[in-house]
Amino acid sequence: MQSDFLIIGGGVVGMAVAYGLVRAGQRVTVLDESDDAFRASRGNAGLTWVQGKGIGMPHYAELSLDASLSWPAFAAELEARTEIDIEHECRGGVDLCFDAPEAKARQRDYAELQSSSRHLAQHFRWEYLDRQALQTCLPGLGKSIHGGTWSPHDGHCNPLHLLRALHAACRSLGMEYHAGTPVLSLSPCLNGFRAATPDTEFHAERVIVAAGLGARTLAPMLGLTGTVRPVRGQMLVTERMPRVEQLPTPQLRQTATGGYLIGDTHEEVGFDKGVSLEVMSFLADRAVRIYPFLRQARLIRAWGALRIMTPDGAPLYEASSRYPGAYNLNCHSGISLAAFHANELARAIIDDRLEERWSAFSGARFDVPAHR
Amino acid sequence: MGELCQAEIAIIGAGPAGMAAAIRLAQAGIRPVVFDMGNAPGGQIYRQLNAPVIGETLSGTDYYRGRRLLRDFSRADIDYRPRSQVWWGQCESDGVSLGVVDSAGASRWHVHRLLLATGSMERSWPFPGWQLPGLMQAGAAQILFKEGGLVPEASPVLAGSGPLLYLLAWQYCRAGCAPQRILDTTPASRYRLPLRYLRGAWKGRHYLMKGSRMMLALKRAGVPIHHGVEALEATGRNRVERVHYYWRGHWHDQDTSLVLTHFGVVPEPQLGRAIGIPYDWHEGQQGFLPVRNASLQARDRVWIAGDGGGIGGALNAEREGRLAALSMLTVSANDVADRERERRRLEHRRATDLAVRPLLEAMFRLPSHWLSEQPDTTLVCRCESVSLGELRRAIEQGAVGPNQLKAFTRCGMGPCQGRECGESVTRLLSTVQARPPQEVGYYQVRPPVQALSLGELAAMATDA
Amino acid sequence: MFQRIAESSVIDGVDIQLDGEIYHIPVTLSVAAAVLFIKGDEEYRRHVDGHARAPFCLMGCCHECLITIDGEPNRRGCLVSVAEGMSIERQLEGSQDDG
Ligand SMILES: Cc1cc2nc3c(=O)[nH]c(=O)nc-3n(C[C@H](O)[C@H](O)[C@H](O)COP(=O)(O)OP(=O)(O)OC[C@H]3O[C@@H](n4cnc5c(N)ncnc54)[C@H](O)[C@@H]3O)c2cc1C
Ligand SMILES: Cc1cc2nc3c(=O)[nH]c(=O)nc-3n(C[C@H](O)[C@H](O)[C@H](O)COP(=O)(O)OP(=O)(O)OC[C@H]3O[C@@H](n4cnc5c(N)ncnc54)[C@H](O)[C@@H]3O)c2cc1C
Ligand code: FES
Repeated sequence: MQSDFLIIGGGVVGMAVAYGLVRAGQRVTVLDESDDAFRASRGNAGLTWVQGKGIGMPHYAELSLDASLSWPAFAAELEARTEIDIEHECRGGVDLCFDAPEAKARQRDYAELQSSSRHLAQHFRWEYLDRQALQTCLPGLGKSIHGGTWSPHDGHCNPLHLLRALHAACRSLGMEYHAGTPVLSLSPCLNGFRAATPDTEFHAERVIVAAGLGARTLAPMLGLTGTVRPVRGQMLVTERMPRVEQLPTPQLRQTATGGYLIGDTHEEVGFDKGVSLEVMSFLADRAVRIYPFLRQARLIRAWGALRIMTPDGAPLYEASSRYPGAYNLNCHSGISLAAFHANELARAIIDDRLEERWSAFSGARFDVPAHR
Repeated sequence: MGELCQAEIAIIGAGPAGMAAAIRLAQAGIRPVVFDMGNAPGGQIYRQLNAPVIGETLSGTDYYRGRRLLRDFSRADIDYRPRSQVWWGQCESDGVSLGVVDSAGASRWHVHRLLLATGSMERSWPFPGWQLPGLMQAGAAQILFKEGGLVPEASPVLAGSGPLLYLLAWQYCRAGCAPQRILDTTPASRYRLPLRYLRGAWKGRHYLMKGSRMMLALKRAGVPIHHGVEALEATGRNRVERVHYYWRGHWHDQDTSLVLTHFGVVPEPQLGRAIGIPYDWHEGQQGFLPVRNASLQARDRVWIAGDGGGIGGALNAEREGRLAALSMLTVSANDVADRERERRRLEHRRATDLAVRPLLEAMFRLPSHWLSEQPDTTLVCRCESVSLGELRRAIEQGAVGPNQLKAFTRCGMGPCQGRECGESVTRLLSTVQARPPQEVGYYQVRPPVQALSLGELAAMATDA
Repeated sequence: MFQRIAESSVIDGVDIQLDGEIYHIPVTLSVAAAVLFIKGDEEYRRHVDGHARAPFCLMGCCHECLITIDGEPNRRGCLVSVAEGMSIERQLEGSQDDG
């Protein structure tokens, strides 16, 4: 069977777009690597976050805000389809500030962002709260925390359940999924594109590279941008603790099952998804300063995962000008943007209006003519 | 970064392998540091032998054989650290870093060479009701026996397969609390295998004779032994009240308040995997074993000895400990010839002893489709209470391997770190996907390998 | 459900507190073994799924023996020896998150 679309990559980006496509009646085949591949979608913090996104690039901030607003309906739809609880919650979130200069810089950034976009000025709500004021939304907060910015748009979910629900929903809608099928090369062919894997070839009218870091090699084969790089984040999770109704923060949050998920490090270490004692102890130290009651909490697991980072940190949505029908999707906030990927982005791809509709996120912005 | 402690050689585990290695290193003038989570040296087999609670007539002679080793260990110049759990390890170019927690808190060690002698654990073998109170592993019952002279008040049912099951039954008989019955999942015909493996049988005649003596003693004591039990189920409201077993084409019931199970032992996998040692599936042992070379070295600066490297029993563990010590010593050897002779002697004895293993493995081979034949309600992950049915559903939904399955279901995400469900998950995927276990693989193991608190970890931070 | 056999050698005892009551216990026992000895396995611990659980391996692998020792929750009772004056509390509260 010839598919309408080949999607390379079964992470949360590829699967969210796949969902949008199969829901619209497209025939989709997803090719994915094996169980132990680099897969940011399995190692992330699960925040559906708006704050801090798009500093210096208001379009990205607007996108994040709109994605956050469409998350609840998206979660409800997926849950209804799959009976998988994604544990999405959007009661607001707090980005902590550890000292006065940080607090000042943060407020200035947000103000600037809003002054550069009418949309944000109207709809992006936030407020700076000092430590005292934070106590109500972050009970147990430690004395050494200076304050933080609160926004009602921030939330969190269970990113693993999200990935599972997307897989389950796509399957039930007829997606064809091949794991352990690494794509070695992509090339145009008579009626579309060809993906070569170790054992066989797949064909489709159009192809979407949603391969995370795999785009480094795959995207350039179709004249697309492959300049993403890995940025490691390490994460800790504690044993289950009694539920406290604290708002999530990028530094740590309590999950629906009770464990505290701790993270938010950015390390340029290449393709190493290991953990280091230095960073683990740093994270633990910061966590017990944020919530001193965590001192006794036992660490259950630590892991590292690789973010997929574009040169400017904003998403990359591009259509190949050389090979019409080939697309490349990459971002380092694939959870926050999942609803957008499944809805507007998938629509724009079906209509082949990606560059027109979302030109701000085109790969053209990284073009350095000298290299062409 | 807290206090950094240093040592030339560290040994993790003070069972027969770790003790033997430490003694041999001390003889050569090296003072190794030995970390062990136990309160006293001995490991699993020689537990509590430093101050024995049960006499030789009850324990059997193998237990008291360890006294020589314990004596040598206590006399040698060794930096022995009981109640120390190694929770993290990382190989570096100039050695290995270790994270250790003890009653004083967490510390960081840097050692030039490392011996893992972390032993084995009992294999998890799920069936309906195996999570109920009143169902324990046979090894646990043995620990109660060795540590406190504790035996069940009411006569228990023993179920499963393998020598340890019969050893426990025999010990209980001696202690005057004979088991109600033994539900042996090994078909009776397997006990005739030695007739076909004559060579192996001859080399292993001591093991086999010990085994048949025990079985005879049990028969004399009137303990019914059912060979070839094909399925098990434990039921009860808040604890085990009854065990059901499928035998000779029918289900049978037995009222009981205690079921003790044993399905063999497998190498404790966590630390080896966490420091990046590759593990390969071993068909005979039906489990993953670390890859080692002939000198028991697993990678640059890391050796593995004893049951942690593959199940070979206590005497083999002791020999491997000495062999590993010799291999670690060759780097700085001057009396090479003597050591070479010692090494060859040990290797010869080890090979002779291990020759019986294929026979034992074949005799006690467990049915590899067991798990996939259990009902959907059977718990596979005890910590997160994930059932077989949930796993099956997630596999259908696109969980391609153990790690994706873990992500989709929380199977293996609890405090035991996946020790109790890891190989079950491999087995299940292997059956469902019709792929060999080696290809299916295993969970990615990450620290902490042993529990530690955020406070303890935080205390190691640079600016703490 | 477990008893000491007559033939076992005489061992020193220690006084421990289990859920507020004092018991005299052989010093060689682990906390998990002591609780099994005193109370049996029916009310050892309540799991997050709300069901009763009790020690399974007694050698540090399964984490079924989690118990509060000297005020510190979720310790593996099978790895800690009893000590004079030790205070042990069973975790019978049950699930912390289901609900
Ligand atoms: C530590 C950390 C924390 C994070 N926290 C958050 C957060 O809180 N909120 C948020 O929104 N985002 C967060 N992110 C980012 C988020 O995880 C990613 O944006 C998202 O997972 C990217 O999804 P993806 O599908 O593009 O990539 P991946 O999940 O990496 O998936 C790529 C897929 O492509 C496959 N693939 C690659 N090459 C090939 C090939 N040649 N052939 C076939 N298949 C191939 C891979 O096997 C993989 O399955 C975090 C990331 C990290 C690392
Ligand atoms: C429960 C059980 C009971 C057994 N009973 C018998 C028996 O009665 N008779 C018999 O012949 N064989 C018995 N065996 C088999 C026997 O254990 C082995 O043959 C022998 O003990 C192997 O010795 P070893 O040195 O390799 O490991 P072990 O004796 O298992 O010693 C390993 C040591 O390493 C320690 N350790 C592991 N991980 C860490 C860590 N991360 N940090 C610190 N310390 C660590 C453990 O606490 C342990 O003390 C039993 C096995 C088990 C699992
Ligand atoms: S009983 Fe298994 S860890 Fe304590």
